[in-house]
Amino acid sequence: MRGTIKLIKENNDKRELLTSENEKVYEDLLLYIRTDLRVDERAAEELLMDLLDHIIEGQENGKNAADLFGDSPEAYADELIANIPKEDKRNIMLLATSFMLGLAGWFALSYGILNGVISIFIPVDNDFALGSVLLILLALFLVGILGVFIVFRIIRSSVFKKEIQNWKIYVQSGLFGMAGVAFIMGVGYVFEGIGPVIQIQWWVFLLIGLALLGVTKGMSHLSTS
Amino acid sequence: MALRSQLLKGVLEACVMAVVEEQPIYGYELSQKLQRIGLPDISDGTIYPVLLRLQKNGFIRGEMRPSATGPNRKYYFLTEEGKVELEQMAFEWLQIAEPVSQLLKRGGHDERND
Repeated sequence: MRGTIKLIKENNDKRELLTSENEKVYEDLLLYIRTDLRVDERAAEELLMDLLDHIIEGQENGKNAADLFGDSPEAYADELIANIPKEDKRNIMLLATSFMLGLAGWFALSYGILNGVISIFIPVDNDFALGSVLLILLALFLVGILGVFIVFRIIRSSVFKKEIQNWKIYVQSGLFGMAGVAFIMGVGYVFEGIGPVIQIQWWVFLLIGLALLGVTKGMSHLSTS
Repeated sequence: MALRSQLLKGVLEACVMAVVEEQPIYGYELSQKLQRIGLPDISDGTIYPVLLRLQKNGFIRGEMRPSATGPNRKYYFLTEEGKVELEQMAFEWLQIAEPVSQLLKRGGHDERND
């Protein structure tokens, strides 16, 4: 994991050496490869670094990045992806779990802060039906994971298009975001008051949130890549 | 794709391994070398899917090393398995190349069996 982070940082620094034309061509490929969740992250970063070094050296000898990737950069990128080792299943599970815990952590933290601030002015309702809370969390995970897949897919399908219509990406992502929030609120509304009711103070949410985010951070060191 | 490119594609893995066997080499240097030895159909990018495939099969391995020109670069080395594979590929290539060359040198071939 550490090695991969170092590679990503080195990539960011080296990219500044590219001419703006070469940077555009290279960054399209980078985005396309990085948003493919099936490939081994470390192997993908090593390849991206190799290609970046190649473009920089070619650039010094008067070559263009576009020559490197041929007439169809998308087909070339797909050929590369097909030959990169696949991500370890253990890492995918770890990543998904850490993503879910992180999402729940931020949710609890924001909820705690919001309720803490509101409780200064007006008394807040600290009653929570456990069944309903679990269902809302489940809806949150579902929307979160689906969101990553959908947004990545939208990005990937537009990377190599000649005229990138950024507004389309924003509108599509925004619509999904709104649908997601509506879905979570809908679940909360339809399944209100299910299961035993317990009292949770705002600061407990704050602590839960911090603990979950701490666990998420710890988990990132467990990854084998 | 030109016919020559298609023919080349089949033996490109062997060509890459043969160059890597001579000395550890990095991507850009490798593509230049292949072009210099008379394979101009090898466009710059062609080698990367090949390098990935060879790494995946354990025939070559990459290692970050400081380069002569400055920053660290990924150099490729031939593994023991790669050496065995290259031997095999070279043997098989010669089995095909010699008779095919004889056959295609029309007019100049010797009919040894006559």
